[in-house]
Amino acid sequence: MNVTLIDSPVANVANIARALRAAGAELQVTSDADAIARASRIVLPGVGSFIAAMTWLEETHIDAAIREAVERDAFLLGICVGHQLLFDVSHEMGTTAGLGLVRGEVRKYEGPLPVPQIGWNRVDARGPLFEGIAPATPFYFVNSYAARGAESEVARADYNGAFTAAVQRGRIFGVQFHPEKSSTAGLRVLRNFVQCN
Amino acid sequence: MQLIPSLDLLNGRVVRLTHGEFASARVYGEPEAVLDALDVPRGARLHVVDLEASRSGRPIETDIVRRLSRRDLIVQVGGGIRSIDDAQRWLDCGAERLVVGTVAASAPALLASLVETFGAGRIVPAVDIRDGVVRIDGWERASSTSMREVFTRIESLGVPEVLVTDISKDGALRGPSFALYRELRAMTRLKIIASGGVSTASDVVSLSRLGNVSACVIGRALLEKRIRLSEITVSNSIPERIIPCLDVRGGRVVKGVSFTNIRDAGDPVECAMRYEAEGADELVILDIDRGTDRDTIRRVADAIFIPLIVGGGIRTLDDFRAMLRAGADRVAINTAALLRPELIRECAEEFGVQAVVLSCDAKDGLATIRSGSEVTHADAVEWCRRAEALGAGEILLTSVDRDGTNRGFDIELLRSVTSAVKIGVIASGGAGRVEDFRDAIESGGARAVLAASLFHDRVLTVGDVKRHLQTEGIPVR
Repeated sequence: MNVTLIDSPVANVANIARALRAAGAELQVTSDADAIARASRIVLPGVGSFIAAMTWLEETHIDAAIREAVERDAFLLGICVGHQLLFDVSHEMGTTAGLGLVRGEVRKYEGPLPVPQIGWNRVDARGPLFEGIAPATPFYFVNSYAARGAESEVARADYNGAFTAAVQRGRIFGVQFHPEKSSTAGLRVLRNFVQCN
Repeated sequence: MQLIPSLDLLNGRVVRLTHGEFASARVYGEPEAVLDALDVPRGARLHVVDLEASRSGRPIETDIVRRLSRRDLIVQVGGGIRSIDDAQRWLDCGAERLVVGTVAASAPALLASLVETFGAGRIVPAVDIRDGVVRIDGWERASSTSMREVFTRIESLGVPEVLVTDISKDGALRGPSFALYRELRAMTRLKIIASGGVSTASDVVSLSRLGNVSACVIGRALLEKRIRLSEITVSNSIPERIIPCLDVRGGRVVKGVSFTNIRDAGDPVECAMRYEAEGADELVILDIDRGTDRDTIRRVADAIFIPLIVGGGIRTLDDFRAMLRAGADRVAINTAALLRPELIRECAEEFGVQAVVLSCDAKDGLATIRSGSEVTHADAVEWCRRAEALGAGEILLTSVDRDGTNRGFDIELLRSVTSAVKIGVIASGGAGRVEDFRDAIESGGARAVLAASLFHDRVLTVGDVKRHLQTEGIPVR
């Protein structure tokens, strides 16, 4: 299956590319807005700050390209900060509008456990992205911010309270964890995305 | 898991004894003022011990208990309850529950009649233990009754809980007596209220994982503000990580004892793949040549789908960036950070807090540099605390003395660091048996445990360690 991986300078694209290939993707890695607008299956990675990632999407017009692809019914998967970019807004370093493809807001974890969360955490999930994944399977997270109780939530984990570990709205998916670092469970999620139709 | 703050009273004031010695009493102040400072939530249980009563055998601090009982708290009182009349006096003061120690061991008939008179729900038998022997009379005498007999007797009374204090741990802030509570798990079905030594949030999590501990009493650690009740959450199901380490030199895996006597142990890519297949949660590659062998990092990163920490010879932001580009998820820095601590802040700002691992090689409590060969003047605990403030996301703490010895982790060193910082600590140096991994997490408060030679030499597999942790109630992936 053909997959277009957005070649963001604010993401570890090489690791995700490797994992997607292992999951069976025929990969095109690009930052060309026109190519992304025409793509049928897109992966939006991201690490670092929300505002840096969103600014880059706007400057390159990839934000518009993603919206265009989504309107043509393309499949989209956001990973980590890429997942956060799908939401209406993030409150990391001030308030920044996201792509607005799923409803909800991204906020900092507050609570007694150390932030950022670094490590494996159990995820309770449903839906096509998690087919074949047992309940409470651990995935690898590295994040200081997350959405809580999002409308499109399909997976939930607990860290300083319950948070949204994955969302799905139609063909738009987002995962807060790093599937490319979550061993066999992560590769299964990527394969599910690569194959879903 | 209920948290029960504890106030020990002597001469109208809150005090703490160390090892139960009256001569060692340290005064904290008036009970109400002390209580106000603890932020005890409404409706919580409060444990009050009348120390003089426990020694003299009659209720003394009745006025204080009357005043504390008027607050929205469930007050349980202990000390000197040796008759139905004593018990009635405390209940008349407003106490909800009575903690009875000495009679539980020495006067079973009285304990039975207390339960019969006031109900099993209002009596909390207490057993004080030192070195496997039950103590009575304010800890001053050894009981002639064995531990097993005392617990069997208490269980037959139908009370739901028993309060167990390990006197050797009490007030010492060295952690609770996990071994004792584990022993009791096999001895009795009673739920245990653990008392003595609880000094970190991690202690509470570890106690809750034992399965037979329903509550814990926290005294000195609260009074000295080492922990706050609001900081304790019992999120005890987040998996703990097992991390094999590859010490690499010239593109080969090597392993030495205390950083010397290096010997060859194989190909890093093969080792890394084997570890992932065994269930490793993360990998560490330390380049002990102090060079940055990017090619090896790239080859390993290409072969695995778990996170990779790389360390060794990272001097500058550019070195750090090069490792991330080669495929590392996180980078450990040691020598360069000790020589110029600002490097931690710079890396955290450039690459994010999560990418920065402070590697601290401790020897006799001091941080060392250049692979443990040079001791600095920096206190290891203080250095870790400072590194956290500068932006380190996690600490890789290695005991240089234990490294490669298989003698177990340095639990004291671990506790001193894990109780000083909020970020996670990876325990390293000394793993030899599966129990060592348990102790590093349970007693040491580590959020991850690292081993090198043990896994290389296939003395244990990652799977062996995880199976053991699981049977001990410690969650793993």
